[in-house]
Amino acid sequence: MITEEIKQKIRDIVGTDHVLDSELNRFGYSYDSSFIPLLPANKPDLVVRPLTTEEVSRVMVVACEHEISVTPRGAASGRTGGSIPLKGGISLCLDRMTRIVELDERNMMVTAESGLRTIDLYNHCAASGLFYPPDPASWKFSTIGGNVAENAGGMRAVKYGVTKNYVMGLEVVLADGAVLRTGGKAIKNVTGYDLTSLFTGSEGTLGVVTQALFRLIPMPKRRGTLEVMFRTLDDGCRTIHTMLQSGVVPAAAEIMDRTCLEVVARHRKTDLDPEVGACTIIEIDGDDDAALETQAGRIEEAAKTCGAVAFRTARSQQEADDIWAVRRGISSAVAALAPNRIGEDISVPRDAFPEVVRRIREISEKQGLPIAVYGHAGDGNIHPSILCDLGKPGEEERVHHAVDDIFAAALSVGGTLSGEHGIGITKRPYIVNALGDVGVRTLKAVKAALDPKGILNPGKIW
Amino acid sequence: MDKRKDHELLREAGKMVDRCDRCGTCLPVCPLFGVKGVEATSARGKNTIARALAGGGIEPTREVLDVVNFCLLCRACVDTCPAKVPTDEAMVDVRQHLTDLAGGADVKYRLIGGVLKRPGVVKAAAAALSILRRSGLNGLFPYGMAPEEYTRAHFLTAFAGPAALGQKAPPSAVTVTGRTKVAYFRGCGMEMMFPEAAAQTRDILKTTTSLLVKQNVCCGLPHLAHGLREEFLSLARQNIRLFEEAEVVVSDCASCGATLKHLSSFFADDPAWRDRAAAFSGKVMDLTEYLEKVGYLPRQKADVVFTYHDPCHLVRGQGITRPPRELLKAAGSFVEMKEADVCCGGAGSFHVDYPDAAAQILEKKRRNIEKTGAAVVVTGCPGCLIQLAKAAKASDGKFKAMHISQVI
Repeated sequence: MITEEIKQKIRDIVGTDHVLDSELNRFGYSYDSSFIPLLPANKPDLVVRPLTTEEVSRVMVVACEHEISVTPRGAASGRTGGSIPLKGGISLCLDRMTRIVELDERNMMVTAESGLRTIDLYNHCAASGLFYPPDPASWKFSTIGGNVAENAGGMRAVKYGVTKNYVMGLEVVLADGAVLRTGGKAIKNVTGYDLTSLFTGSEGTLGVVTQALFRLIPMPKRRGTLEVMFRTLDDGCRTIHTMLQSGVVPAAAEIMDRTCLEVVARHRKTDLDPEVGACTIIEIDGDDDAALETQAGRIEEAAKTCGAVAFRTARSQQEADDIWAVRRGISSAVAALAPNRIGEDISVPRDAFPEVVRRIREISEKQGLPIAVYGHAGDGNIHPSILCDLGKPGEEERVHHAVDDIFAAALSVGGTLSGEHGIGITKRPYIVNALGDVGVRTLKAVKAALDPKGILNPGKIW
Repeated sequence: MDKRKDHELLREAGKMVDRCDRCGTCLPVCPLFGVKGVEATSARGKNTIARALAGGGIEPTREVLDVVNFCLLCRACVDTCPAKVPTDEAMVDVRQHLTDLAGGADVKYRLIGGVLKRPGVVKAAAAALSILRRSGLNGLFPYGMAPEEYTRAHFLTAFAGPAALGQKAPPSAVTVTGRTKVAYFRGCGMEMMFPEAAAQTRDILKTTTSLLVKQNVCCGLPHLAHGLREEFLSLARQNIRLFEEAEVVVSDCASCGATLKHLSSFFADDPAWRDRAAAFSGKVMDLTEYLEKVGYLPRQKADVVFTYHDPCHLVRGQGITRPPRELLKAAGSFVEMKEADVCCGGAGSFHVDYPDAAAQILEKKRRNIEKTGAAVVVTGCPGCLIQLAKAAKASDGKFKAMHISQVI
């Protein structure tokens, strides 16, 4: 419980309009995009929407003094429960902090506040010919602070890496309200521990990221999108491997299985060729059209030798956007197929992708549960979606077995639990399998050092 | 008869919103979330509240009704949703459910509903308005009979006078067979607030056909939107019966058109009316859709720059974007505005219930219109036209707002 006196203190800091405590408003901040059940609701006692780092800091001072839990939140588009206020307390919603503080074109770096949407950061930089590559599927609505806190990946990871590869420095409000600044614009920087990396992907458990400094790269001058259909997922994976080994590194290489394609066909009211069992969507980029043509030619060649049944090049930006819209919407479209969808985010060495998909098929048959598979074939990050109805007797147990088996399959080929969604609440029971006792003990030691009262995003990761 | 019980409506709404993955795709496109920023004002927030209400996790309070009422029903979220969750339909059902629980619609909506329901009332527009004024509801129609209305005569004087005569459009190539029975659907909003534009619609239609004009009743959308579902169904049945002899029913109001086109879905489980409703919905056309079909060419080409605002109920309600633009290109020059398909904030009586939010949304619209440099913003919905007329006033003469019938 947060007393009226404390609420008033917080209202005085951020303004009355930005502190919400009605039943429905608290409910609005009780969920994210994970499969954590909506009810019973994990409502915060108070929703606080600060505008500045100073306000965040002063709120943290109050929270620390009264040992109130604080769960940072951006757009609540996360998939593992990271922004769910599991222990009540304050939902610290950073979505009003949307300033682009500085675009430093000479150093090719940009500083932005946490609540800025990823796409707005991208567009702002793109207008100056600069490229911020990380593009989680949620980039149109996710916030950059959430991307940093979860170390979000995206489609372009195969060529350009993930969020952490672009974070140069952070402004972080610590549990006691102190403001920490890490890193900086110097490209080489080995002064002290690499705190920037520590906070990136810390899921709001170590501090509240209020600003981030990102490096940028020159915007590729030309982009192309290819869509290739295969009989099997294996053929699609082989194409991507053949292509990578031949030296063609696409900006993105996505794959989806028949179940996913059926959803797309249904939404678009089109018929799906019965021969097609998988689809890959590939983005290529380069300096000029000739460079794109060369790459497209080599990809087509690889696809043909691997048994492609259809090959399409987007002829306009609109067509390319349409193809990518399909891929970006897949997750939510698949989710609508069944009363419940348990979406996972395993990541394996690239060459183990077909093997793990085969094992997922076996798990699906063994448990009698449909599992849709799509993912980033270019970097080995797979999103198996278990389609189920948790209301059916015995279903929940089968789902648990399926999830256990999927994680076991990932770990057995040298992979890991999460490629880009984080651990949050949903993967917590499995973390010791992935990191071992020493690994988890080390995480806890870091947590205890930075947040001794355990007020920041409690109940997450382990 | 519609035999669905209150809880069935809630269950149905629950089923619709169950498909919501809470991903957040709708957040950037929801105009209300855009100005308020609080989760419960977004489509995701409202769907999740509806879901919890259906699941028993939230009590049906007045506060919940306020949340579901605070929706433009603009379908921007539905359009972008990867799971195609019909937020608007779910909100209408939850409104109905909560209204029934509370023992009937809010007195204000009941009064408006009563006025719009009376057969012949659209003919007696003045009388209706006087009832509205007496009941203190004239705020719904902020500028009386013709809110800041700019007539076709004004338009021609300003833009198509002698200087523009040389650019007269080629003669219309319309050929209408005597067999096609085309009827005009008189929308309440058009008749009461923009009678001049409605008359223009009829004039245009008469150049293409021998027009059937019926004494139809309201399309029922205001009733449906505010928890008067039985009234809506009763009106729908009257209209279906009335237009049985027509082969085409043309509407110059985006909201009427969209409602009428969707009537069939409300009678899908009613064997007595299912087929008649489907037949009726199948013959409804928006004015611009009809004009495109018959190859209508504008009566003049004026020296004027138009821009176009997509009414929610045309762009998302009926998927119509090209025909009005083509007509405007033929009637003058055309420039596209940014975010032309974003709701203007009018949304039936929303702008009266939530004037601040509506004004903030309209302010964005006004800036987008001004940026085009167009002299006239055109639309095909009286609700939008009220809002756009306010924007025109606020723009201090930079542009006028007109119905498409007045300029083609």
